[in-house]
Amino acid sequence: MLSKYDYFKPDTLEKALEYLEKNSETRILAGGTDLMLLLRKDAVSCEHILDIKDIPETKILSYTPKVGLFIGASIPVNRIAEDDVIRGVYPALCQAIDGLASFQIRNRATLVGNICHASPGADTSAPLLVYNAKVHIASIEGVRIVDIANFFTGVKKTTVKENEIVIGVSLPDVEQGDNSIYLRKARIKGHDLCNVGLAMRLTSKKEMYVAMAAVAPIPLRLTELEKTIGTKELTSELGPWIQEEIKKYMDPRRNSVRSSREYRFHIAGVLAKRGLLNLLEKEAK
Amino acid sequence: MCNQNGGNNCFEYVDSQMPRVPLQLVVNGEKVIEFVDPAMTLLNFLRIQLKLFGAKEGCGEGECGACTIIMDGHTVNSCLVLAVEAQDSEITTVEGLSKNGELSILQQEFINNDALQCGFCTPGMLMSARNLLDRHPEPTVEQIKEGIAGNFCRCTGYQSIIDAVISAAKREREELI
Ligand SMILES: Cc1cc2nc3c(=O)[nH]c(=O)nc-3n(C[C@H](O)[C@H](O)[C@H](O)COP(=O)(O)OP(=O)(O)OC[C@H]3O[C@@H](n4cnc5c(N)ncnc54)[C@H](O)[C@@H]3O)c2cc1C
Ligand code: FES
Ligand code: FES
Repeated sequence: MLSKYDYFKPDTLEKALEYLEKNSETRILAGGTDLMLLLRKDAVSCEHILDIKDIPETKILSYTPKVGLFIGASIPVNRIAEDDVIRGVYPALCQAIDGLASFQIRNRATLVGNICHASPGADTSAPLLVYNAKVHIASIEGVRIVDIANFFTGVKKTTVKENEIVIGVSLPDVEQGDNSIYLRKARIKGHDLCNVGLAMRLTSKKEMYVAMAAVAPIPLRLTELEKTIGTKELTSELGPWIQEEIKKYMDPRRNSVRSSREYRFHIAGVLAKRGLLNLLEKEAK
Repeated sequence: MCNQNGGNNCFEYVDSQMPRVPLQLVVNGEKVIEFVDPAMTLLNFLRIQLKLFGAKEGCGEGECGACTIIMDGHTVNSCLVLAVEAQDSEITTVEGLSKNGELSILQQEFINNDALQCGFCTPGMLMSARNLLDRHPEPTVEQIKEGIAGNFCRCTGYQSIIDAVISAAKREREELI
């Protein structure tokens, strides 16, 4: 099949939403680093391309102390990672971005595109989960706000409907002393989707939050594991325990092109232990 | 945009026959006004419509970096950008690096350091290296590696490319003094 589509780049959200209502078979274009591949391979059908990069609401990137961070849907991930303030407040988010694809892809790829594409291994998903991010989704009826934990519904599936546009993602502010880390393992260093992506966050109240990418059909927040950690004393002795424990919460694919289930179980354990020790070590300083 | 050619894993540009849209942009310092196929990639626009054959299509999927150009100050994989997305933008391709028929310092250092063999990766590699030097005039080896990580070279083994970028950075700094 030949890809045939026209192109529309509205400058207001209203125009964009009206266009979506009127035209079925429309694909939303942000950075295009996933969509262009799908179109090239004729993996999706599409008659209209709706470029959202001129919509003012999607062009916002702002951090406000006591409120938090808003990342508009047109913001390429490099813009986020280059911001030293954001890096200081949400380290796991910026570390996840550092490991995503190559520099030139990161100049185009957006964080919102990353979660809307909803690959189980989407690198930014795990940090968003540990920061309780909220997804702002607009339609002509108005804006609804969805917890990131309820956003993913399956492999490459989300709660976003055909007539909706994600305008951005917000992350609540953190308190002094909050810290986080993102660890990933891929076949080669850089430039490959991860086999396991792990975000861990230690809040100022000494609560541990854990989320993982690429170990189940959707990115996972490990709330049960978090509860069990909550009953234990946070010391480096938890390392070997978490290394085994974390495997209970994973359901990696059997026939993955990137790695076997066994390998993913093993790596997840190693990363969990490493992440825990790293956060405790930083806290001790 | 592209069509699978006779079932082979070989893609070539096929006109989508969609109504043409006006496109205005600046390419290598020159204003360009054209009508384009809305389904055409920026890479195909540069190569087929503007006859700028520097940027190459290696994979067409964002993996190899052979199509890297600089768009509004940022490197992008032009195989993943639609030509119409470049409206009002400023683009530099490898053809824009030399001035008045003379190769830039960076290009000269690629030659001096044998940083190319078949040369297929070179136009993209040069654009990533150019952008890296604009961001980090005195790059560390780690920064160079990170800067060219999205550009595959199947010939040189990369060391000569890293050497070329280091010598170019040094010469560029000296020329500033
Ligand atoms: C070579 C290469 C390497 C990669 N490596 C990685 C990697 O290591 N880790 C990783 O996580 N990803 C990786 N990716 C995938 C990709 O770069 C990311 O998923 C990227 O963040 C997608 O963002 P985008 O803006 O390019 O999305 P687009 O391609 O523009 O859109 C992606 C999907 O989301 C939809 N969409 C986009 N924006 C919205 C919106 N605002 N509202 C509703 N729907 C929307 C689109 O319609 C499309 O279906 C890689 C891609 C390539 C080509
Ligand atoms: S041709 Fe664009 S990255 Fe390979
Ligand atoms: S010189 Fe041949 S691919 Fe780099």
